[in-house]
Amino acid sequence: MFYKVLEGVKVLEYGTLVDAPFCARILADLGAEVIKIEEPETGDESRRQEPFLGDIPGLERSGLYQYVNMNKKGITLNPRTATGYKIFSELLKQADVFIENNPVKRMKVLELNYKHVKEINPRIVMTSITPFGQTGPYKDYKGGELINESMGAVGFDSAREVDVSLEPIKLPGHIFSFQTGLGAAVGTIGAAINQTMTGHGTYLDVAEQESIMQNLHAMLRYYYYKQVCYRTDVLDRAPAHILKCKDGYIHHANMEEVQWQRFIELMGSPEWASGELFATYTSRAKFWDALKPLLEDWLKDHTMDEIYRASQDRGSAIGAVYTAKDMFTDRQLTAREFFVDIEHSENGKLKYPGVPYRFFDLPRETPAAAPQLGQHNEEIYCGRLGYTRENLAKLKEAGVI
Amino acid sequence: MSEVFLKGVRVIALTQVWAGAWTGHLLSDMGAEVIKIESSTKLELYRRGKEGLNKESHFNAYNNGVKSCTLNMKQPEAVEIFKKLVKISDVIIENLSPRAMPGFGLGYDTLKQIKPDIIMVSEPGFGSTGPDKNYISYASTVEAVGGLAASFGYLGGEPATPSIFLADPTGGMYGALCVVGAIFHHRKTGKGQHIDVAQSEAITTFLPEVIMEYSMNGRIRPRMGNRDAIMAPHSCYPCKGRDKWVAIAVGTNEEWKAMCKVMGNPEWSKDEKFADQYSRWQNQDELNKLVGSWTKDFTHYDVMHLLQKAGVAAGVSFSTKEMYNDPHVKDRGALIEKDHLEGGKVLTWRAPWKSALTAQNPTAPLFGQHNSYVFQDLLGMSDAEMAKLVEQKVIY
Repeated sequence: MFYKVLEGVKVLEYGTLVDAPFCARILADLGAEVIKIEEPETGDESRRQEPFLGDIPGLERSGLYQYVNMNKKGITLNPRTATGYKIFSELLKQADVFIENNPVKRMKVLELNYKHVKEINPRIVMTSITPFGQTGPYKDYKGGELINESMGAVGFDSAREVDVSLEPIKLPGHIFSFQTGLGAAVGTIGAAINQTMTGHGTYLDVAEQESIMQNLHAMLRYYYYKQVCYRTDVLDRAPAHILKCKDGYIHHANMEEVQWQRFIELMGSPEWASGELFATYTSRAKFWDALKPLLEDWLKDHTMDEIYRASQDRGSAIGAVYTAKDMFTDRQLTAREFFVDIEHSENGKLKYPGVPYRFFDLPRETPAAAPQLGQHNEEIYCGRLGYTRENLAKLKEAGVI
Repeated sequence: MSEVFLKGVRVIALTQVWAGAWTGHLLSDMGAEVIKIESSTKLELYRRGKEGLNKESHFNAYNNGVKSCTLNMKQPEAVEIFKKLVKISDVIIENLSPRAMPGFGLGYDTLKQIKPDIIMVSEPGFGSTGPDKNYISYASTVEAVGGLAASFGYLGGEPATPSIFLADPTGGMYGALCVVGAIFHHRKTGKGQHIDVAQSEAITTFLPEVIMEYSMNGRIRPRMGNRDAIMAPHSCYPCKGRDKWVAIAVGTNEEWKAMCKVMGNPEWSKDEKFADQYSRWQNQDELNKLVGSWTKDFTHYDVMHLLQKAGVAAGVSFSTKEMYNDPHVKDRGALIEKDHLEGGKVLTWRAPWKSALTAQNPTAPLFGQHNSYVFQDLLGMSDAEMAKLVEQKVIY
């Protein structure tokens, strides 16, 4: 874990890939005990996704899986068998929280949707995450990062430097799945607070599409209030753009005049900057195409780091366009101890992104590596549910775990 | 009163623009009472719109359900009133510059003396500690420093700035996470907390593929456009009409067969170049052109429904207009229209979950709308006392 805040909370996770597993991980980061249920033999989908350590695939070698599932216990279980279902029910009875991201139909068929789960444990907080929600005409539609993003209206307006002749592009990796998992965690913990106060359970129906929609800003309002299409008809956007420099890129976001003035001074107050053309924020936005090459002409002789530091020191709004390599040596991230080293029995010690929050009055704990497939079967089945070692072997042989 | 997530929780919000406001909105959706402190001497960006104090559309979306009172924190008497408010509150959330609170004489150490179990959550761009803590941050710069811009763009293209500023709702949600985590802990231990959330770090926590590619293999992950690690077809394809697109993501050979059937098994689909997932991925540029030659004769809605019916993941690349009017979106009610107190309608969202515990809240507040409630009902001032403070521009 990272901070001991949700001590005593018991979470059962039955999910795959990113959103539900990350939601569960967030609770684990805050000290909850999370038991992750995986499919016997194959496990979570993310185990088969790159990057792999040394480019060698393996169930325990995916950087994505390791990151999303740190701090958890892992067991294998097949709830489609009668014994498996019985065990699942037993685990639900012992849990405070149940997080899952299976298709609506599948949970109904498995008899593990909220209707059944609340019979098994009326007190439980259950959180379901699906692409489009538990209700509505698209509830059984298949999602995925690209689909969800497109249906959340975020893809259409994704890039500021829009070329409408080119296809809309998605943001990298699984960004919105992570964000959806985060939102779900907020609601889940809120529900757990109510549970401790009232003893009541509840159900949270989380839709990726709806989580993604909350990222819309001007593009939503331009349509709703003015019936204007942001992508094609709102071209006077703020002059916040990426510029090329000597060894990489910087992001220019000088919104206030004083910030722009400081930046001009940094460049040695060139002649072209003193004219009318770029005098205001609005004119800089309007004439960005003319401004860009002038800026890049100066930037090409200076490194990203140099420009970033010098600009910010003067009070100019410049951001460095950091790659992973840059981040590993960035002084702010180092001072904040953002990256954490995690020791894994097979992979050795690796550096991972940590958490972005700091609880200043609590000690920061050491995060634990993600579980190997079935790693805690004995601890949970024998230690908690009373099965013997011999039973465990039989359960395995019968495909229950 | 119906059950809510956070019954009886009072939050003071020194929030502005989006991230902090979003935290306030989420907490108020969860049933907490959120009181936003504003001032005429320092109006936040969204109170300075040309539509006036109360009609700015972003403000009304992000501050739904929150209360507003005015306190001119430049006046020592206002700071004393603020302290009285702290005494009867549980949480303080803020996303001002890291110098602001200490500048008012309201650093955490001071607040802790007023209320030892206060929970304080800050949401600065780069953190409230560290050498860069005072760096100017906007969502786009935070996203650049957080690693998003470098990995976003067309295949072989330049880094791009996303136009959706996800740093804000992301920072806001991490802030709300810390608040509920701290409340849970407080219920068990009676302890307060001092917490910060660095928005740039928050972005990085969503990019493990990028970080781990470097951490594990010493490589910078390239920009890939719509390319997936192994799925193909996997992109947005042009449809009938101007600037209409549909997203298609084929994950397995079975899904590919189903898609081919929907397309009427065209000759090109039988080419061995597309025979299995591996070869489809290798030949995806050609594949994408061919898929586009099929989609272009259909509307994006038709392609989505046809493929989904056949068990293939497909979705319209919605414009906000299309999304707003979509039957599923309407059915789910995530986008909410409310009556504005000064006339007209306001568009906001519910929190990103559907739950019986969500509070039914009024719209975003008018500027200073709850002054009487805060200063008289909560702090016990008389009419005369309050009038004097208004005249002295303390309540201002």
